[in-house]
Amino acid sequence: MSTPATVFWQKNPALAWREIDDETVIISPHDSVMHELNDTGSFLWKNIDGKKSAAELAVLLVENYEVTPDIALSDTQALLEEMSSRKLVVMVPETAGVSP
Amino acid sequence: MTGTLSAAATPVMDRLISRSVEKHRPLSVHFDLTYRCNERCVHCYLDHQDHGELTTAECLKVLEDLARSGTLFLTFSGGEIFLRPDLYEILAAARRLHFDISLKTNALLVTPERAARLGEFGVRRVQISIYSDLPAVHDAITKVPGSLQRTLAAIPILLQYRLQVKLACPLMQENLMAYRGVIALAEKLGIPYILDLTITPMMDGSSGPLAHRASVSSLLPVLRDPALQACKPRPNAQPDGAVNALPPAFGSAVSSGMESPAYNDLPCSAGHNSCYISPYGDVFPCVQLPQAAGNLRREKFDDIWYHAPQLQRLRAIRESQLPICSRCEIRSYCERCPGLALMEGGNLLGAYERACALAEEKARLAGVAVPVSALHRERDTASVPTTPDAEFAFLAADSSSH
Ligand code: SF4
Ligand code: SF4
Repeated sequence: MSTPATVFWQKNPALAWREIDDETVIISPHDSVMHELNDTGSFLWKNIDGKKSAAELAVLLVENYEVTPDIALSDTQALLEEMSSRKLVVMVPETAGVSP
Repeated sequence: MTGTLSAAATPVMDRLISRSVEKHRPLSVHFDLTYRCNERCVHCYLDHQDHGELTTAECLKVLEDLARSGTLFLTFSGGEIFLRPDLYEILAAARRLHFDISLKTNALLVTPERAARLGEFGVRRVQISIYSDLPAVHDAITKVPGSLQRTLAAIPILLQYRLQVKLACPLMQENLMAYRGVIALAEKLGIPYILDLTITPMMDGSSGPLAHRASVSSLLPVLRDPALQACKPRPNAQPDGAVNALPPAFGSAVSSGMESPAYNDLPCSAGHNSCYISPYGDVFPCVQLPQAAGNLRREKFDDIWYHAPQLQRLRAIRESQLPICSRCEIRSYCERCPGLALMEGGNLLGAYERACALAEEKARLAGVAVPVSALHRERDTASVPTTPDAEFAFLAADSSSH
């Protein structure tokens, strides 16, 4: 699945989560399943605020980690898709007003 | 790949516990919002007065501090939490700060509207105290006529709002054989339960509630019940897929997660990655280890958590160095609690009669020929030191001076 560049991403507001020492643990309340993000995943998670697209998140990744733009974009898209399939993030249409 | 995502609760939980223990992050916090209660349970370890509870603003400040310090699992309890008129404000703040929220309640005040609000605030689990499936037994313990009926009526309401409900049944003289009815009730409702044999002294150390404790000999039929898996040396690890999916039948309703190998040589999680906060802002390693490390009205949480001498000393304790228990052959059957060791035996590092007697019975039931705890063996041969080993003397001195 590929997602259009104009799509913004938002955290699922129902989740419990905490970043602890550069890694983030997320718990889905209804099934109690725990998910874990490594440090770059945590970096992206922190920046998912309903106002950024995958491309914008990838740019932030390039600015903060030693990674090429191509890899940053493909990894960001892959992570967002994986998180989306687990209902950790949801897409927000570009025109919609979103609070982080 | 740069960003990675892993799932399945057990490995994630194990890693989380390992990291939090290693770096002393306060992963799990039990926060009592009030000691006021609308029941008067005969075995309760609290007084039910308000001696100056934290205000709403103070509670919210505590939550902000905890979120910053890395707390994920937050349990609100009491007393009865629904007696806090600002409960929803506190829950809303906890939601904004992304805690995983659990509640403990007697559920007398649960209504569909209140259950819906709990769902809105992302409460994941609600633990309900229940003493029997028989009103005469339950109500005699709570001293509130009709309380069982009201508590039971709350359960389907909470389930309807997708809250996970768990029954906690403390067993004492008054309801010892009621566990079967509670288990049947839990099974009928399709919810987990925990039976708790722990009756603790009052938080001020007075022993009133202990009069209700069932003797070890009277517990034998319960321990022997094969359905309860009572004789396993250690609780089972949790299955993959969910946090606390199915608990062992027995446990303490206070603590959790001790099955993790991350605790290895540590007595328990208290002060390592978990703590307790009283309605007055006192920070304790655990509700069952009432040794105040500081007060949140005067100090920041991090200053207490990382610098209080009581917590630092607690963190230095290793099971393998305990003066008596490290030599115990039946340690794997024992559920020694450092808090009870302090409150009942007067020594945080020591053995205490109740734990030894229970461990011996469990070991016997598991087929150990003549199980004798180190305390009993060494007392019989008069080798139990009257003072703790020198290397622990400073700890014991501190622990007995609270
Ligand atoms: S002090 Fe006792 S009740 Fe508290 S976490 Fe340790 S073993 Fe459990
Ligand atoms: S049975 Fe007694 S001596 Fe043995 S570990 Fe438990 S408390 Fe210590």
